[in-house]
Amino acid sequence: MIRVKGLTKVFASGTKALDGLDLEVESGEIMALLGPNGAGKTTAIRVLSTLSGFDAGEVISAGYNVDSDGEKVRQSIGVVAQQTGVDYLLTGRENMMLQGRMYRMTTNDIKARIDELASYFDLNEALDRLVSTYSGGMRRKLDIATALIHRPQLVFLDEPTLGLDIKSRKMLWAYIEKLNKELGLTILLTTHYLEEADNLSHRVSIICAGKIRVVGTPEELKSGVKGDSVILEFENSEPATQAAANALGEQDFIKEKVWEGNKLRLYVENGSASVARIAQAAADNGVVIKSLSLSQPSLDDVYLIHTGTSFESNEEEGADEWWKQWAGKGGGGGKWSKQWDQQEDDAGGDASLTDGSSGEAEANEGSNEGSKEKPSVAQSTDGAAEQPWPQQSEWKQGDDAGSGQWGQGEWGKGDWSKDGSGGDNRKDGK
Amino acid sequence: MLADTWHLFGKYMRITIRMPMWSLFTLIQPLIWLVIFGSLFKNMAQLPGFPTDSYIDYFIPGVLIMTVLFGSSWSGVSLLREITAGTVDRMLVSPVSRVSIVLSRILHSAVQVVLQVLIILIVAALFGASITLNPFYLLLGMLIVFFLAVAFAALSNGFAIALQREEPLVMIGNLMTLPLMFFSTAMVPAAFMPTWIQNISLVNPINYAVESVRAVLVGDIELGLYAKGLVVLIVFAGVTLAWAVNTFNALRD
Repeated sequence: MIRVKGLTKVFASGTKALDGLDLEVESGEIMALLGPNGAGKTTAIRVLSTLSGFDAGEVISAGYNVDSDGEKVRQSIGVVAQQTGVDYLLTGRENMMLQGRMYRMTTNDIKARIDELASYFDLNEALDRLVSTYSGGMRRKLDIATALIHRPQLVFLDEPTLGLDIKSRKMLWAYIEKLNKELGLTILLTTHYLEEADNLSHRVSIICAGKIRVVGTPEELKSGVKGDSVILEFENSEPATQAAANALGEQDFIKEKVWEGNKLRLYVENGSASVARIAQAAADNGVVIKSLSLSQPSLDDVYLIHTGTSFESNEEEGADEWWKQWAGKGGGGGKWSKQWDQQEDDAGGDASLTDGSSGEAEANEGSNEGSKEKPSVAQSTDGAAEQPWPQQSEWKQGDDAGSGQWGQGEWGKGDWSKDGSGGDNRKDGK
Repeated sequence: MLADTWHLFGKYMRITIRMPMWSLFTLIQPLIWLVIFGSLFKNMAQLPGFPTDSYIDYFIPGVLIMTVLFGSSWSGVSLLREITAGTVDRMLVSPVSRVSIVLSRILHSAVQVVLQVLIILIVAALFGASITLNPFYLLLGMLIVFFLAVAFAALSNGFAIALQREEPLVMIGNLMTLPLMFFSTAMVPAAFMPTWIQNISLVNPINYAVESVRAVLVGDIELGLYAKGLVVLIVFAGVTLAWAVNTFNALRD
């Protein structure tokens, strides 16, 4: 149904919205494009639905090339955008009627189709009321019904449940699933709700900075995460604690550690067995743990690993840039920034890294629409001491303009790759 | 394409009818013009060489044309709103022709303006202005109104896409309409103008619109003068329309 290869799109402003995106969607499946704000989800949908042009790559949508067969693509797809575009001063029926006209259907056909869709979506009673009187959930249903008027086989849903309450969201999920099961529609939906992707889709593509990072069924993705995770929250957030906590994360039974704000997430093989060891290790290191919780792998973890540090950094790189530097220089930004300044010279790696990240976390907070993940990732993986944070380095190299400067500047990757165990280092220093 | 245009036009008309307050407001302004300017320049009609006995009679065509300009220059603003609301995207992902999207908007704007102008004419006649109410000449007058409205709605839509923002669009709208009104015989006969303004008025389509409307609605009928204006306006509307359609066709991010 959809085949995208090397899709690249650069906006006039110079922002690279899509950066060599590859995507394949099979007939009859629900594919979720999951990613943070600004990852390129909407842009991808716009290209696939012929609304946007692109700079490089090959795009087949609904079986047709969007460049040469745009008209056929438009005829075969249904699009439900974030901004819905139904007219509020028309009734539901009038909106659907007009939509049918736009697809050059006959009057009788449109009427039959409206009846059909209205019963399908339980819109019969509301059909002759002005859309301005509809509730959010009803309007969304009308959006989808309207987009289906011409019986498309491929439907794009851009953030279909954004801004809806839980009840309406679940209701909408049921409809979307039904559309796929009963009518065999192929659906490409974008979302930044993890549970939406998890519940609804056959496969999930995690997109970040205009690239697909990973594709798979939710189960596959979850099983790709290294075991369970233990989340630690500490009594105080002093640097000493932080350093000790980092040291904690370096133990060999811990596969990966990720900072989420002032919580530390440790990935381990066997969660329940590790709890005691972690508690013991914490005591040995003199760290007071405030709370400790154990969690099974979820899509949350997959998401965090794949979008990790670059969370939203691609959104406004230029704008963020001054901020990062400012925060990094100890301008009073990050929670620990003062301390990191002092340690920048002697401790090296981890300190400055975490510093930058925490500053960035702050910088991003404004635009961070309700998502809880904080971007301070410090992954220590698989004993590759030379390159302890492969993802971080990949991000820095891969990202253009803004962050690149940051990455290669005062805390270039050389800084922290020459001494992988920054935490230990700092502990010694204390 | 014609069918597309017709259906979209129907949608816009339907929406307009559901906002009666808005249409009412657009009528108030020209009536205020009529009262204010009518009193302000009342004595001008006494000057030797003034073409009509009452200033109101002279000024009516000017008020009609002002209504056209102010009415149709808003078209672009609502296009920007439709872009923001996603309505335009919804049309663009359908097989509807792009030309129809622009045409239906402009057509709607022009028809709406013609209706407003007719209402103002009736009100003015009730107030005692001596206007020709012969249906044939009325129709000729409305043709001028229609083409001028098409032209300015086209300009407004074209600038809307070129500028992408409401504020500069409104500014340009004001910049286009007000000075051009004064560079025409809407308020003051050509004989009373300084030469340089007379020269500008010769290339000002609004001036031709005012003169043509006056030629068929007020005083003696002058079909020759009317025809000249009609030709100018058809050309003007054609050029601006082509530009607007072109700009819209190029719209792709």
